[in-house]
Amino acid sequence: MSGDLASRHSYDETPHTSRSEMVESAEGGAVQIVEKQVQRRIFKIIVIGDSNVGKTCLTYRFCLGKFPDKTEATIGVDFREKAVHVDGEHLKLQLWDTAGQERFRKSMVQHYYRNVHAVVFVYDMTKMSSFENMPQWIEECDRHNLNKSIPRILVGNKCDAVDRVAVNTNLAQKFADSHNMPLFETSAKDDEKANHVDAIFMTVAHKLKNSKPMMPPHLADFVPGEVPRNVEYISLRGSPHHRGLQTAARGQCGEKSDCGC
Amino acid sequence: MSDEEPSSDFDQEHSEGAGDQPENARISLQEQEYSPKVNGRLQRQHRVFYQRKAKKIEQILSKDPVDIAELRQQSISRGGLLTDDLRRRAWPILLNVNVKNITPKPEAAVLQGHRDYRQVVLDVERSLRRFPPGMEEQHRLSLQDSLVDVIMRVLVKHPELYYYQGFHDICVTFLLVVDEDMAFALVEKLSLGHLRDYMEATMERTTQVLNYLQPLLKKANPELYDYLEGAELGNIFCLSWIITWFGHVLNDIKSILRIYDFFIACHALMPIYLTAAVVLYREKEIFETEQEMPFLHALLSKVPDNLPFEQLLSNAGDLYILYPPVELANEALKRFRRAQAQAAARKQLALQKNAQRKSILPDGNVTFAKVTWWMLGAVASVAVYALYSSMDWDWSSWISHGS
Repeated sequence: MSGDLASRHSYDETPHTSRSEMVESAEGGAVQIVEKQVQRRIFKIIVIGDSNVGKTCLTYRFCLGKFPDKTEATIGVDFREKAVHVDGEHLKLQLWDTAGQERFRKSMVQHYYRNVHAVVFVYDMTKMSSFENMPQWIEECDRHNLNKSIPRILVGNKCDAVDRVAVNTNLAQKFADSHNMPLFETSAKDDEKANHVDAIFMTVAHKLKNSKPMMPPHLADFVPGEVPRNVEYISLRGSPHHRGLQTAARGQCGEKSDCGC
Repeated sequence: MSDEEPSSDFDQEHSEGAGDQPENARISLQEQEYSPKVNGRLQRQHRVFYQRKAKKIEQILSKDPVDIAELRQQSISRGGLLTDDLRRRAWPILLNVNVKNITPKPEAAVLQGHRDYRQVVLDVERSLRRFPPGMEEQHRLSLQDSLVDVIMRVLVKHPELYYYQGFHDICVTFLLVVDEDMAFALVEKLSLGHLRDYMEATMERTTQVLNYLQPLLKKANPELYDYLEGAELGNIFCLSWIITWFGHVLNDIKSILRIYDFFIACHALMPIYLTAAVVLYREKEIFETEQEMPFLHALLSKVPDNLPFEQLLSNAGDLYILYPPVELANEALKRFRRAQAQAAARKQLALQKNAQRKSILPDGNVTFAKVTWWMLGAVASVAVYALYSSMDWDWSSWISHGS
C-alpha cells in the first residue's frame, strides 16, 4: 500500500478504541493491548488557518508520525485521532482538519465548531498574508460560539524554510501575547522536528487534561492570561521560564536550531 | 485491489501507443477490472459482452446525426463508455460541445490576473496524487500547467463562476483523457450545467444540494437515517464526493472515469443518489460503529476502493427512479431552512455571550460598579432610617399633642 493510500485511510490506522477502551502501548517495539474499564476522555481540537499553511501535514505528523508523501487540498473537514498518555491518564485527541478556502469556512465548517475543546490556529511562516489573516480566523472562532476561555494556540508552520521566512518571530509573539495565546514555530516536514510537533499537541493535551472534565469548556477554570505559564508538561529539557509552554516545546525542538524556533 | 494494478492498466491505456493496440486487448483489460474473480466461462461471457457493447457504441458514434438518447443509454449502462478512445468521441456529443468552435486560450497575463489564480496554482501543485504513479515528471509537470490553464480559461470566460477547491479534481480527470482545448470545452459545459450550483460565490447552493441526501436516506432506509441523524452526522463527510464527482476520494482512475460516464449522462443530482447508494451499501458497518458523529464521519468520509461500483451505480439509478428529486425537494428545502435558522440562533447566542463578557470582564469597572451600588445602598438605607425615625417621632408627638 503506498503512502498516499495510507493517508486516505489514516483513521483506520489509529487505534479505534472509543468506549470499549483498548489501550495500546508500545514497549520495546512490541504492542501491548490492555483492557481498561474506565471511560477515556475525548477532546476535540479544531485546526484552522489559510489554505496551504500545512494544517493537514501538522495533524498527519502528529497522528501518524510522519510527513505525508502527497498532500492535497482538504475539501470540507478531515478527521484524525490519536490516543495519548498524560500524567497517568489516557486521553484521546480528535483533530478536525479543516479546509482553508474561504468559501468552505463561511458555511460548511460551522457544524464542526460545536463542542470544540481547543483551537489550533496555523499560519505559514513563509507567507505574510496567512499571518495577516489570523485576526479574521480568531473573529471567525468567536462568532461560532466558541468561548474565549478554551485553550487556543498559535502555530507558525514551515520553519524549515529558513531563507524564505517572511513572518518575524517578534511580530508573531506580540500578536500571540495580545490574544493570550502561546506561540510555536515549527515544521511538519522536518523529521528532526517531529518531537516538536508532538510537544505542541501534548501541551494542548495537558491543558485539556487539567480542565474540569465534565463541564462545558467555559465553566472550566481557565484564566486566559495565566494558562501559558501554569501548564505542566512532560519530558522536557531544561526548566520552563517565562513563556512556559513555548520554551518547553523549544527544548524538545533543540535549542538554537537552524529554523530559529 | 493493489495500487499497482490500476496504474499498469492506466499506463497501457494512456501511453502514446494506446491507439495502436487492438480493440480486443483493451476490452479485456476493461473486463479484468469489472470481474477480477470470475471463472473462465464467465470471463468469456464478459469479454463477449464488452466487445458487443464497444461495437454498439462505435455504431452509434458513426451515424450522423448521432442518436444522443442511445449514446446516453450506453454511457449509463454497465461498463459505461469502456475506453478512453470512445470517451474522447462520445463526451463532446453528450455534453453538446461544438468541437470546431472552442474559445481560444487568452494570453497568460489574463489568466494569471484572475482573482482565483493563486488558489488554483496552490491546489494544482498539490494534486500529485491524481496523476498515475508511473508518469514521467516532465509529462506530469506539463499536464499540471495545462490543468491550471483549463481551470483559468473557464473562470476567465465566465466571471460569474467562482473556483472551489475540488473543481481541479474534476478538471484533471478530463485532462487525463482529452487534450487541453477539449478538456476546457467539456468542463466549461459542465460548469454551466451539472456543476453550476457549486460555483456560486458562496456555498449556499452547495448546501442546498447536500440537503437532498438525508431525505433520500430517510425514504430508502428509515432506520439507517435515524441512526445517522441521532449522531448528528451532518453531510460534510460526502462534500468532496459530490463536488468532485468522487474524483477526490477514489484512487482508481478507471472507476473514476466510469463514474464520470454515468454522471455526464445523468441528472445533475445523480451524485447525491450515488452517495446514498454508497451509504446504504455500508449499512452494516455503520450500525457497527458507535453512534457518534466523529466515528461515523471518519468511517464514511473514506470511500473504500474495492466497492462494487458497477452495482452501486445501478442502485443509484434505481433510487433515482424510486425517489426522483421532485419528491425530495420539499424536505431538502425544509432542512436547509431549519439549519439556517439554527445557525442564526447560534450566532445570536454567541454575540450575546461575547457582549456579556465584554461588559463584565474588565475588573476595574466591576469594582467601581460594586462600590457605587454599595454606597448608593448605604445612603438610601440611612435616609430611610432617618425618615422613619423622624416620622415616628412626629407621629407620637402629634398624637400626644392631639390628645
